[in-house]
Amino acid sequence: MKSSSVLLTSMLVQMKQTFSRNMFKFTLFVGPFLTTIILGEMYRHSTADNFVAYVVLGSGLWSLWNCIAFSSAGDIHRERYSNTLSIIFSAPADFRLILLGKIFGNTVLSMGSFFLSIFYATLLYRHPIIVNNWPLLIAALALAIVAFIIMSIFIAYLLTLSRKTTIYMNCLEIPFALICGFVFPIENLPQGVQYFSWIFPPTWAVRLLRYSVTETAYGFWENFIPLVITMAVFAVLAAWLYRIIFRQSKILGTLDMA
Amino acid sequence: MSVIEVKDLVRDYVIGEGLFNKKKKVVHAVKGISFSVEKGEIFGLLGQNGAGKTTTIKMLITMLAPTSGICKVLGYDTFGQEKMIRNRINFVFGGEYGLYRRLSARDNLKYFANLYKMPRKERDERVEELLALVGLTDRADTRVETFSKGMTQRVQIARGLINSPEVLFMDEPTIGLDPLGAEMLRETILEVNSKGTTVLLTTHNMYEADELCGRIAIIKEGELLALDTPAAIKGRLTPRKAKPAVQEEITLEDAYIQLVKGGDDA
Ligand SMILES: Nc1ncnc2c1ncn2[C@@H]1O[C@H](COP(=O)(O)OP(=O)(O)OP(=O)(O)O)[C@@H](O)[C@H]1O
Ligand SMILES: [Mg+2]
Repeated sequence: MKSSSVLLTSMLVQMKQTFSRNMFKFTLFVGPFLTTIILGEMYRHSTADNFVAYVVLGSGLWSLWNCIAFSSAGDIHRERYSNTLSIIFSAPADFRLILLGKIFGNTVLSMGSFFLSIFYATLLYRHPIIVNNWPLLIAALALAIVAFIIMSIFIAYLLTLSRKTTIYMNCLEIPFALICGFVFPIENLPQGVQYFSWIFPPTWAVRLLRYSVTETAYGFWENFIPLVITMAVFAVLAAWLYRIIFRQSKILGTLDMA
Repeated sequence: MSVIEVKDLVRDYVIGEGLFNKKKKVVHAVKGISFSVEKGEIFGLLGQNGAGKTTTIKMLITMLAPTSGICKVLGYDTFGQEKMIRNRINFVFGGEYGLYRRLSARDNLKYFANLYKMPRKERDERVEELLALVGLTDRADTRVETFSKGMTQRVQIARGLINSPEVLFMDEPTIGLDPLGAEMLRETILEVNSKGTTVLLTTHNMYEADELCGRIAIIKEGELLALDTPAAIKGRLTPRKAKPAVQEEITLEDAYIQLVKGGDDA
Protein backbone atom coordinates (compact mmCIF):
# COMPACT_ATOMS: atom_id res chain seq x y z
CA MET A 1 0.00 0.00 0.00
CA LYS A 2 1.34 3.36 -0.99
CA SER A 3 2.07 6.49 1.00
CA SER A 4 -1.07 8.15 -0.32
CA SER A 5 -3.15 5.51 1.38
CA VAL A 6 -1.41 6.05 4.71
CA LEU A 7 -2.29 9.71 4.33
CA LEU A 8 -5.86 9.03 3.30
CA THR A 9 -6.68 6.40 5.90
CA SER A 10 -5.07 8.47 8.66
CA MET A 11 -7.29 11.32 7.59
CA LEU A 12 -10.47 9.24 7.53
CA VAL A 13 -9.74 7.53 10.83
CA GLN A 14 -9.03 10.93 12.32
CA MET A 15 -12.34 12.35 11.12
CA LYS A 16 -14.28 9.34 12.31
CA GLN A 17 -12.78 9.55 15.77
CA THR A 18 -12.92 13.30 16.08
CA PHE A 19 -16.52 13.45 15.11
CA SER A 20 -17.46 11.06 17.87
CA ARG A 21 -16.03 13.38 20.52
CA ASN A 22 -18.48 15.73 22.16
CA MET A 23 -15.82 18.33 22.89
CA PHE A 24 -15.12 18.55 19.21
CA LYS A 25 -18.78 19.02 18.38
CA PHE A 26 -18.70 21.94 20.78
CA THR A 27 -15.61 23.40 19.08
CA LEU A 28 -17.22 22.86 15.72
CA PHE A 29 -20.75 24.14 16.31
CA VAL A 30 -20.85 26.28 19.45
CA GLY A 31 -17.36 27.79 19.27
CA PRO A 32 -18.03 29.76 16.07
CA PHE A 33 -21.30 31.01 17.55
CA LEU A 34 -19.54 32.44 20.61
CA THR A 35 -16.71 34.06 18.67
CA THR A 36 -19.20 35.56 16.25
CA ILE A 37 -21.14 37.18 19.09
CA ILE A 38 -18.02 38.50 20.81
CA LEU A 39 -16.69 40.00 17.60
CA GLY A 40 -20.11 41.13 16.44
CA GLU A 41 -20.59 43.18 19.62
CA MET A 42 -17.05 44.57 19.40
CA TYR A 43 -17.62 45.84 15.88
CA ARG A 44 -21.33 46.61 16.18
CA HIS A 45 -21.01 50.16 14.91
CA SER A 46 -18.42 49.59 12.25
CA THR A 47 -18.77 49.93 8.52
CA ALA A 48 -19.84 47.13 6.23
CA ASP A 49 -16.38 46.22 4.98
CA ASN A 50 -15.05 46.31 8.53
CA PHE A 51 -17.83 43.98 9.48
CA VAL A 52 -16.80 41.47 6.86
CA ALA A 53 -13.10 41.90 7.59
CA TYR A 54 -13.29 41.61 11.36
CA VAL A 55 -16.51 39.89 12.35
CA VAL A 56 -17.08 37.43 9.54
CA LEU A 57 -13.47 36.69 8.70
CA GLY A 58 -12.31 37.12 12.28
CA SER A 59 -14.64 34.58 13.76
CA GLY A 60 -14.18 32.31 10.77
CA LEU A 61 -10.42 32.35 11.11
CA TRP A 62 -10.54 31.98 14.85
CA SER A 63 -12.74 28.90 14.50
CA LEU A 64 -10.61 27.54 11.72
CA TRP A 65 -7.47 27.96 13.81
CA ASN A 66 -9.05 26.30 16.82
CA CYS A 67 -10.19 23.34 14.84
CA ILE A 68 -6.94 22.80 12.97
CA ALA A 69 -4.21 23.65 15.45
CA PHE A 70 -5.93 23.07 18.74
CA SER A 71 -7.36 19.73 17.67
CA SER A 72 -4.12 18.60 16.13
CA ALA A 73 -2.29 19.42 19.34
CA GLY A 74 -5.02 17.70 21.35
CA ASP A 75 -4.69 14.61 19.19
CA ILE A 76 -1.04 14.17 20.12
CA HIS A 77 -2.06 14.51 23.74
CA ARG A 78 -4.83 11.93 23.42
CA GLU A 79 -2.71 9.52 21.41
CA ARG A 80 -0.04 9.68 24.08
CA TYR A 81 -2.57 8.90 26.82
CA SER A 82 -4.05 5.98 24.92
CA ASN A 83 -0.53 4.69 24.18
CA THR A 84 -1.16 4.77 20.46
CA LEU A 85 1.37 7.55 19.83
CA SER A 86 4.28 5.21 20.44
CA ILE A 87 2.64 2.59 18.24
CA ILE A 88 2.07 4.82 15.23
CA PHE A 89 5.53 6.27 15.75
CA SER A 90 7.08 2.79 15.65
CA ALA A 91 5.08 1.55 12.67
CA PRO A 92 6.71 1.19 9.24
CA ALA A 93 4.60 4.03 7.83
CA ASP A 94 6.18 7.47 7.91
CA PHE A 95 5.02 9.34 11.00
CA ARG A 96 5.00 12.58 8.98
CA LEU A 97 2.36 11.16 6.66
CA ILE A 98 0.23 9.91 9.54
CA LEU A 99 0.37 13.31 11.20
CA LEU A 100 -0.34 15.14 7.98
CA GLY A 101 -3.34 12.89 7.41
CA LYS A 102 -4.65 13.78 10.84
CA ILE A 103 -4.19 17.48 10.23
CA PHE A 104 -5.93 17.21 6.85
CA GLY A 105 -8.81 15.47 8.60
CA ASN A 106 -9.06 18.29 11.09
CA THR A 107 -8.84 20.82 8.27
CA VAL A 108 -11.77 19.31 6.41
CA LEU A 109 -13.86 19.31 9.57
CA SER A 110 -12.80 22.82 10.46
CA MET A 111 -14.02 24.14 7.12
CA GLY A 112 -17.43 23.33 8.52
CA SER A 113 -16.83 25.61 11.44
CA PHE A 114 -15.51 28.33 9.16
CA PHE A 115 -18.66 28.35 7.07
CA LEU A 116 -20.82 28.07 10.15
CA SER A 117 -19.34 31.22 11.63
CA ILE A 118 -20.00 33.08 8.39
CA PHE A 119 -23.54 31.78 8.49
CA TYR A 120 -23.97 32.88 12.11
CA ALA A 121 -22.53 36.32 11.38
CA THR A 122 -24.87 37.00 8.49
CA LEU A 123 -27.84 35.60 10.36
CA LEU A 124 -27.25 37.50 13.59
CA TYR A 125 -26.13 40.87 12.31
CA ARG A 126 -27.66 41.11 8.86
CA HIS A 127 -24.87 43.25 7.55
CA PRO A 128 -24.45 43.11 3.80
CA ILE A 129 -21.47 41.02 2.77
CA ILE A 130 -19.29 43.29 0.71
CA VAL A 131 -16.08 41.88 -0.68
CA ASN A 132 -13.85 43.86 -2.97
CA ASN A 133 -12.02 41.06 -4.66
CA TRP A 134 -13.62 37.62 -4.46
CA PRO A 135 -10.96 35.65 -6.37
CA LEU A 136 -8.29 37.14 -4.14
CA LEU A 137 -10.35 36.33 -1.07
CA ILE A 138 -10.58 32.68 -2.07
CA ALA A 139 -6.90 32.48 -2.95
CA ALA A 140 -5.96 34.18 0.33
CA LEU A 141 -8.20 31.79 2.23
CA ALA A 142 -6.44 28.84 0.64
CA LEU A 143 -3.10 30.35 1.62
CA ALA A 144 -4.34 30.95 5.16
CA ILE A 145 -5.30 27.29 5.43
CA VAL A 146 -1.89 26.20 4.21
CA ALA A 147 -0.31 28.56 6.76
CA PHE A 148 -2.44 27.03 9.53
CA ILE A 149 -1.49 23.52 8.45
CA ILE A 150 2.22 24.34 8.51
CA MET A 151 1.86 25.84 11.98
CA SER A 152 -0.08 22.79 13.15
CA ILE A 153 2.61 20.41 11.95
CA PHE A 154 5.20 22.47 13.75
CA ILE A 155 3.19 22.49 16.98
CA ALA A 156 2.36 18.79 16.80
CA TYR A 157 6.05 17.94 16.41
CA LEU A 158 6.90 20.02 19.46
CA LEU A 159 4.24 18.21 21.45
CA THR A 160 5.64 14.84 20.43
CA LEU A 161 8.81 15.77 22.24
CA SER A 162 7.26 17.04 25.44
CA ARG A 163 4.79 15.45 27.80
CA LYS A 164 3.54 18.81 29.05
CA THR A 165 1.03 19.11 26.25
CA THR A 166 -1.67 20.94 28.16
CA ILE A 167 0.57 23.90 28.96
CA TYR A 168 1.28 24.50 25.31
CA MET A 169 -2.32 23.99 24.34
CA ASN A 170 -3.45 26.77 26.62
CA CYS A 171 -1.06 29.15 24.85
CA LEU A 172 -2.46 28.17 21.51
CA GLU A 173 -6.02 29.29 21.44
CA ILE A 174 -6.66 32.86 22.55
CA PRO A 175 -3.11 34.27 22.76
CA PHE A 176 -2.33 33.09 19.28
CA ALA A 177 -5.57 34.45 17.87
CA LEU A 178 -4.72 37.86 19.35
CA ILE A 179 -1.08 37.88 18.30
CA CYS A 180 -1.90 36.98 14.72
CA GLY A 181 -4.59 39.62 14.51
CA PHE A 182 -7.63 37.41 14.01
CA VAL A 183 -9.68 39.63 16.30
CA PHE A 184 -8.30 43.14 15.88
CA PRO A 185 -5.44 44.58 13.83
CA ILE A 186 -2.04 43.83 15.28
CA GLU A 187 -1.33 47.57 15.05
CA ASN A 188 -3.40 47.85 18.23
CA LEU A 189 -0.87 45.67 20.04
CA PRO A 190 2.24 47.12 21.72
CA GLN A 191 5.09 47.57 19.25
CA GLY A 192 7.20 44.85 20.86
CA VAL A 193 4.43 42.30 20.44
CA GLN A 194 3.96 43.31 16.82
CA TYR A 195 7.50 42.22 15.99
CA PHE A 196 6.56 38.88 17.47
CA SER A 197 3.40 38.74 15.33
CA TRP A 198 5.47 39.20 12.18
CA ILE A 199 7.17 35.85 12.75
CA PHE A 200 4.00 33.85 12.21
CA PRO A 201 2.56 33.18 8.74
CA PRO A 202 -1.08 33.43 9.92
CA THR A 203 -0.50 37.13 10.68
CA TRP A 204 0.24 37.81 7.01
CA ALA A 205 -2.49 35.52 5.78
CA VAL A 206 -5.01 37.45 7.85
CA ARG A 207 -3.80 40.76 6.47
CA LEU A 208 -4.00 39.46 2.94
CA LEU A 209 -7.55 38.32 3.58
CA ARG A 210 -8.51 41.74 4.94
CA TYR A 211 -6.94 43.36 1.91
CA SER A 212 -9.07 41.21 -0.37
CA VAL A 213 -12.15 42.45 1.45
CA THR A 214 -11.43 46.16 1.81
CA GLU A 215 -8.52 46.80 -0.55
CA THR A 216 -7.65 49.77 1.60
CA ALA A 217 -6.27 48.31 4.79
CA TYR A 218 -2.99 46.91 3.48
CA GLY A 219 -1.33 46.38 0.15
CA PHE A 220 -1.05 43.07 -1.69
CA TRP A 221 2.67 42.53 -2.14
CA GLU A 222 3.65 43.79 1.32
CA ASN A 223 1.60 40.96 2.76
CA PHE A 224 1.95 38.28 0.13
CA ILE A 225 5.75 38.26 0.17
CA PRO A 226 6.13 38.04 3.98
CA LEU A 227 3.46 35.33 3.97
CA VAL A 228 5.34 33.18 1.49
CA ILE A 229 8.63 33.77 3.27
CA THR A 230 7.32 32.96 6.77
CA MET A 231 5.53 29.89 5.46
CA ALA A 232 8.72 28.66 3.85
CA VAL A 233 10.66 29.32 7.05
CA PHE A 234 8.20 27.38 9.18
CA ALA A 235 8.04 24.55 6.66
CA VAL A 236 11.83 24.24 6.76
CA LEU A 237 11.80 24.50 10.56
CA ALA A 238 9.17 21.76 10.77
CA ALA A 239 11.19 19.47 8.50
CA TRP A 240 14.24 20.08 10.64
CA LEU A 241 12.26 19.61 13.84
CA TYR A 242 11.10 16.22 12.59
CA ARG A 243 14.67 15.00 12.26
CA ILE A 244 15.21 16.02 15.86
CA ILE A 245 12.06 14.48 17.28
CA PHE A 246 12.63 11.27 15.39
CA ARG A 247 15.76 10.73 17.46
CA GLN A 248 15.09 12.69 20.61
CA SER A 249 11.67 11.24 21.41
CA LYS A 250 13.33 7.85 21.60
CA ILE A 251 16.23 9.16 23.64
CA LEU A 252 14.01 11.03 26.09
CA GLY A 253 11.31 8.35 26.10
CA THR A 254 8.45 10.85 25.84
CA LEU A 255 6.25 8.92 23.45
CA ASP A 256 4.14 7.27 26.09
CA MET A 257 3.06 7.86 29.63
CA ALA A 258 4.59 4.80 31.27
CA MET B 1 23.03 -14.76 13.05
CA SER B 2 20.85 -14.34 16.11
CA VAL B 3 17.42 -12.84 15.60
CA ILE B 4 17.83 -10.77 18.75
CA GLU B 5 21.21 -9.69 19.99
CA VAL B 6 21.55 -7.71 23.19
CA LYS B 7 24.94 -6.94 24.66
CA ASP B 8 25.76 -4.81 27.71
CA LEU B 9 22.49 -3.01 27.14
CA VAL B 10 21.93 -0.01 29.40
CA ARG B 11 18.98 2.33 29.66
CA ASP B 12 18.74 5.25 32.05
CA TYR B 13 15.73 7.50 32.42
CA VAL B 14 16.35 11.08 33.38
CA ILE B 15 13.36 12.37 35.26
CA GLY B 16 12.53 15.91 36.29
CA GLU B 17 14.04 17.34 33.16
CA GLY B 18 12.56 20.61 32.08
CA LEU B 19 12.90 24.32 31.85
CA PHE B 20 12.04 25.15 35.45
CA ASN B 21 12.96 21.89 37.02
CA LYS B 22 16.67 21.93 37.64
CA LYS B 23 16.77 18.84 39.84
CA LYS B 24 17.44 15.79 37.74
CA LYS B 25 17.15 12.26 38.88
CA VAL B 26 18.48 9.30 36.96
CA VAL B 27 16.71 5.95 37.09
CA HIS B 28 18.89 3.06 35.99
CA ALA B 29 16.22 0.85 34.48
CA VAL B 30 18.45 -1.58 32.59
CA LYS B 31 22.03 -2.02 33.79
CA GLY B 32 24.01 -3.85 31.16
CA ILE B 33 22.19 -7.04 30.23
CA SER B 34 23.28 -9.45 27.51
CA PHE B 35 21.40 -12.24 25.82
CA SER B 36 20.59 -13.46 22.35
CA VAL B 37 17.62 -15.22 20.85
CA GLU B 38 17.83 -17.57 17.90
CA LYS B 39 15.34 -17.94 15.09
CA GLY B 40 12.28 -19.96 16.05
CA GLU B 41 12.73 -19.66 19.80
CA ILE B 42 10.13 -18.67 22.35
CA PHE B 43 12.13 -16.67 24.83
CA GLY B 44 10.82 -15.54 28.20
CA LEU B 45 11.84 -12.40 30.05
CA LEU B 46 10.92 -12.69 33.71
CA GLY B 47 11.40 -10.37 36.64
CA GLN B 48 9.71 -8.40 39.37
CA ASN B 49 7.73 -5.21 38.81
CA GLY B 50 10.17 -2.52 37.77
CA ALA B 51 12.89 -5.02 36.82
CA GLY B 52 13.28 -3.46 33.38
CA LYS B 53 11.37 -5.89 31.17
CA THR B 54 9.17 -3.35 29.42
CA THR B 55 12.12 -1.00 29.00
CA THR B 56 14.10 -3.79 27.33
CA ILE B 57 11.21 -4.61 25.00
CA LYS B 58 10.75 -0.94 24.07
CA MET B 59 14.39 -0.76 23.04
CA LEU B 60 14.00 -3.93 20.97
CA ILE B 61 10.95 -2.66 19.12
CA THR B 62 12.61 0.64 18.11
CA MET B 63 10.49 2.70 20.50
CA LEU B 64 13.25 3.71 22.87
CA ALA B 65 16.93 4.44 22.38
CA PRO B 66 19.49 2.50 24.43
CA THR B 67 21.72 4.63 26.65
CA SER B 68 24.59 2.33 25.69
CA GLY B 69 25.27 -1.19 24.54
CA ILE B 70 24.25 -3.25 21.56
CA CYS B 71 20.60 -3.82 20.74
CA LYS B 72 20.02 -5.59 17.44
CA VAL B 73 17.02 -7.24 15.88
CA LEU B 74 17.37 -9.26 12.67
CA GLY B 75 20.93 -7.99 12.47
CA TYR B 76 20.05 -4.28 12.51
CA ASP B 77 20.44 -1.68 15.24
CA THR B 78 17.08 -0.86 16.74
CA PHE B 79 18.18 2.74 17.09
CA GLY B 80 19.40 4.14 13.79
CA GLN B 81 18.31 1.32 11.47
CA GLU B 82 14.63 1.28 12.44
CA LYS B 83 13.48 1.21 8.83
CA MET B 84 15.11 -2.17 8.23
CA ILE B 85 13.30 -3.72 11.18
CA ARG B 86 9.85 -2.24 11.61
CA ASN B 87 8.11 -4.08 8.79
CA ARG B 88 9.35 -7.43 9.99
CA ILE B 89 8.46 -7.27 13.67
CA ASN B 90 5.43 -6.47 15.77
CA PHE B 91 4.55 -6.19 19.41
CA VAL B 92 1.67 -6.65 21.83
CA PHE B 93 1.42 -4.80 25.10
CA GLY B 94 -0.83 -6.07 27.83
CA GLY B 95 -3.58 -3.84 29.11
CA GLU B 96 -6.35 -1.80 27.67
CA TYR B 97 -4.34 0.89 25.92
CA GLY B 98 -2.84 0.91 22.48
CA LEU B 99 -6.01 0.96 20.41
CA TYR B 100 -8.37 3.61 19.11
CA ARG B 101 -11.20 3.11 21.54
CA ARG B 102 -13.71 5.06 19.48
CA LEU B 103 -13.20 2.84 16.47
CA SER B 104 -14.50 -0.67 15.97
CA ALA B 105 -12.22 -3.68 16.23
CA ARG B 106 -12.28 -4.10 12.47
CA ASP B 107 -11.48 -0.44 11.79
CA ASN B 108 -8.60 -0.60 14.25
CA LEU B 109 -7.11 -3.63 12.55
CA LYS B 110 -7.60 -2.20 9.08
CA TYR B 111 -5.93 1.04 10.05
CA PHE B 112 -2.93 -0.65 11.63
CA ALA B 113 -2.65 -2.90 8.59
CA ASN B 114 -2.42 0.25 6.48
CA LEU B 115 0.44 1.48 8.64
CA TYR B 116 2.22 -1.76 7.77
CA LYS B 117 1.60 -0.90 4.12
CA MET B 118 -0.36 -4.01 3.27
CA PRO B 119 -2.18 -4.17 -0.08
CA ARG B 120 -5.91 -3.74 0.33
CA LYS B 121 -6.99 -7.25 -0.63
CA GLU B 122 -4.37 -8.95 1.51
CA ARG B 123 -5.25 -6.57 4.34
CA ASP B 124 -8.96 -7.34 4.30
CA GLU B 125 -8.36 -11.08 4.22
CA ARG B 126 -5.84 -10.85 7.03
CA VAL B 127 -8.18 -8.77 9.19
CA GLU B 128 -11.01 -11.31 8.85
CA GLU B 129 -8.64 -14.18 9.52
CA LEU B 130 -7.36 -12.52 12.69
CA LEU B 131 -10.81 -11.54 13.93
CA ALA B 132 -11.77 -15.19 13.64
CA LEU B 133 -8.57 -16.29 15.35
CA VAL B 134 -9.23 -14.14 18.41
CA GLY B 135 -12.94 -14.98 18.37
CA LEU B 136 -14.23 -11.48 17.71
CA THR B 137 -15.89 -11.87 14.32
CA ASP B 138 -19.32 -11.28 15.85
CA ARG B 139 -18.30 -8.11 17.62
CA ALA B 140 -15.98 -6.79 14.95
CA ASP B 141 -18.06 -3.71 14.21
CA THR B 142 -18.59 -2.58 17.77
CA ARG B 143 -16.47 0.17 19.22
CA VAL B 144 -13.52 -1.05 21.25
CA GLU B 145 -14.54 1.23 24.16
CA THR B 146 -17.50 -1.06 24.81
CA PHE B 147 -15.29 -4.15 25.04
CA SER B 148 -14.30 -5.96 28.20
CA LYS B 149 -10.66 -6.01 29.22
CA GLY B 150 -10.09 -9.43 27.74
CA MET B 151 -11.78 -8.57 24.47
CA THR B 152 -9.67 -5.44 24.16
CA GLN B 153 -6.61 -7.56 24.80
CA ARG B 154 -7.63 -9.88 22.00
CA VAL B 155 -7.83 -6.99 19.57
CA GLN B 156 -4.31 -6.04 20.62
CA ILE B 157 -3.12 -9.56 19.92
CA ALA B 158 -4.71 -9.47 16.49
CA ARG B 159 -3.01 -6.12 15.88
CA GLY B 160 0.33 -7.63 16.82
CA LEU B 161 -0.10 -10.40 14.25
CA ILE B 162 -1.36 -8.16 11.46
CA ASN B 163 1.85 -8.12 9.43
CA SER B 164 2.71 -11.79 10.09
CA PRO B 165 5.86 -10.67 11.90
CA GLU B 166 9.11 -12.61 11.86
CA VAL B 167 9.70 -11.57 15.44
CA LEU B 168 6.88 -10.97 17.87
CA PHE B 169 7.41 -9.16 21.16
CA MET B 170 4.76 -9.58 23.82
CA ASP B 171 4.72 -7.71 27.10
CA GLU B 172 2.41 -9.50 29.54
CA PRO B 173 0.08 -10.61 26.75
CA THR B 174 -2.17 -12.75 28.94
CA ILE B 175 -2.82 -10.05 31.53
CA GLY B 176 -6.54 -9.70 32.08
CA LEU B 177 -7.49 -12.75 30.05
CA ASP B 178 -9.72 -15.42 31.55
CA PRO B 179 -8.27 -18.95 31.80
CA LEU B 180 -9.76 -19.98 28.48
CA GLY B 181 -8.61 -16.80 26.79
CA ALA B 182 -5.13 -17.27 28.20
CA GLU B 183 -5.09 -20.87 26.99
CA MET B 184 -6.23 -19.71 23.56
CA LEU B 185 -3.43 -17.16 23.47
CA ARG B 186 -0.85 -19.72 24.47
CA GLU B 187 -2.05 -21.95 21.65
CA THR B 188 -1.87 -19.02 19.28
CA ILE B 189 1.67 -18.27 20.37
CA LEU B 190 2.68 -21.88 19.83
CA GLU B 191 0.98 -21.89 16.46
CA VAL B 192 2.66 -18.75 15.10
CA ASN B 193 5.91 -20.03 16.54
CA SER B 194 5.53 -23.34 14.73
CA LYS B 195 5.24 -21.34 11.51
CA GLY B 196 8.62 -19.77 12.18
CA THR B 197 7.91 -16.62 14.19
CA THR B 198 10.42 -15.96 16.93
CA VAL B 199 8.69 -14.85 20.13
CA LEU B 200 9.99 -12.86 23.06
CA LEU B 201 7.51 -12.49 25.87
CA THR B 202 7.28 -11.30 29.43
CA THR B 203 4.88 -12.70 31.95
CA HIS B 204 4.35 -12.91 35.68
CA ASN B 205 2.73 -16.29 35.22
CA MET B 206 5.41 -18.91 35.86
CA TYR B 207 3.27 -21.77 34.67
CA GLU B 208 2.90 -20.01 31.36
CA ALA B 209 6.61 -19.30 31.06
CA ASP B 210 7.39 -22.92 31.84
CA GLU B 211 4.89 -24.19 29.31
CA LEU B 212 5.83 -21.87 26.47
CA CYS B 213 9.44 -20.83 26.71
CA GLY B 214 12.43 -22.74 25.46
CA ARG B 215 14.70 -20.42 27.39
CA ILE B 216 14.18 -17.87 30.09
CA ALA B 217 16.08 -14.81 31.27
CA ILE B 218 15.38 -13.60 34.78
CA ILE B 219 16.23 -9.99 35.43
CA LYS B 220 16.31 -8.20 38.74
CA GLU B 221 16.69 -4.45 39.12
CA GLY B 222 18.01 -4.17 35.59
CA GLU B 223 20.56 -6.95 35.87
CA LEU B 224 20.55 -10.44 34.46
CA LEU B 225 20.16 -13.03 37.19
CA ALA B 226 19.78 -16.24 35.22
CA LEU B 227 19.55 -17.35 31.62
CA ASP B 228 18.67 -20.95 30.91
CA THR B 229 15.99 -23.46 30.00
CA PRO B 230 13.07 -23.71 32.47
CA ALA B 231 14.23 -27.23 33.35
CA ALA B 232 17.75 -26.09 34.14
CA ILE B 233 16.48 -23.18 36.20
CA LYS B 234 14.28 -25.54 38.15
CA GLY B 235 17.22 -27.88 38.41
CA ARG B 236 19.19 -25.29 40.31
CA LEU B 237 16.76 -25.57 43.16
CA THR B 238 16.80 -29.30 43.24
CA PRO B 239 19.99 -30.45 44.91
CA ARG B 240 19.86 -28.72 48.25
CA LYS B 241 16.32 -27.67 48.84
CA ALA B 242 14.14 -30.41 47.51
CA LYS B 243 13.94 -33.96 48.68
CA PRO B 244 14.36 -36.43 45.80
CA ALA B 245 10.83 -37.70 46.28
CA VAL B 246 9.21 -34.36 45.53
CA GLN B 247 11.64 -33.36 42.81
CA GLU B 248 9.02 -33.75 40.12
CA GLU B 249 6.79 -31.22 41.79
CA ILE B 250 9.29 -28.40 41.83
CA THR B 251 7.80 -25.59 39.83
CA LEU B 252 9.43 -22.76 37.97
CA GLU B 253 7.73 -20.51 40.47
CA ASP B 254 9.67 -22.07 43.37
CA ALA B 255 12.92 -21.65 41.52
CA TYR B 256 12.07 -18.11 40.44
CA ILE B 257 11.17 -16.96 43.93
CA GLN B 258 14.35 -18.35 45.31
CA LEU B 259 16.49 -16.77 42.64
CA VAL B 260 14.91 -13.35 42.94
CA LYS B 261 15.03 -13.39 46.71
CA GLY B 262 18.76 -13.75 46.44
CA GLY B 263 19.14 -17.48 46.76
CA ASP B 264 20.86 -17.13 50.15
CA ASP B 265 18.29 -19.25 51.94
CA ALA B 266 18.70 -22.09 49.49
N1 LIG C 1 9.32 6.77 31.15
C1 LIG C 1 9.97 6.52 32.28
N2 LIG C 1 10.53 7.52 32.99
C2 LIG C 1 11.20 7.27 34.12
N3 LIG C 1 11.38 6.05 34.66
C3 LIG C 1 10.84 5.00 34.02
C4 LIG C 1 10.11 5.18 32.80
N4 LIG C 1 9.68 3.96 32.38
C5 LIG C 1 10.14 3.08 33.30
N5 LIG C 1 10.83 3.69 34.28
C6 LIG C 1 11.49 3.04 35.44
O1 LIG C 1 12.37 2.05 34.96
C7 LIG C 1 12.32 0.89 35.79
C8 LIG C 1 11.97 -0.32 34.95
O2 LIG C 1 10.63 -0.20 34.49
P1 LIG C 1 9.95 -1.24 33.49
O3 LIG C 1 8.64 -0.68 33.10
O4 LIG C 1 10.90 -1.58 32.43
O5 LIG C 1 9.74 -2.51 34.44
P2 LIG C 1 9.00 -3.89 34.18
O6 LIG C 1 10.01 -4.95 34.41
O7 LIG C 1 8.32 -3.86 32.88
O8 LIG C 1 7.93 -3.91 35.37
P3 LIG C 1 6.42 -4.49 35.39
O9 LIG C 1 6.51 -5.93 35.68
O10 LIG C 1 5.82 -3.75 36.56
O11 LIG C 1 5.78 -4.15 34.11
C9 LIG C 1 11.35 1.21 36.90
O12 LIG C 1 12.08 1.64 38.00
C10 LIG C 1 10.52 2.33 36.35
O13 LIG C 1 10.07 3.17 37.36
MG1 LIG D 1 6.33 -3.93 32.29
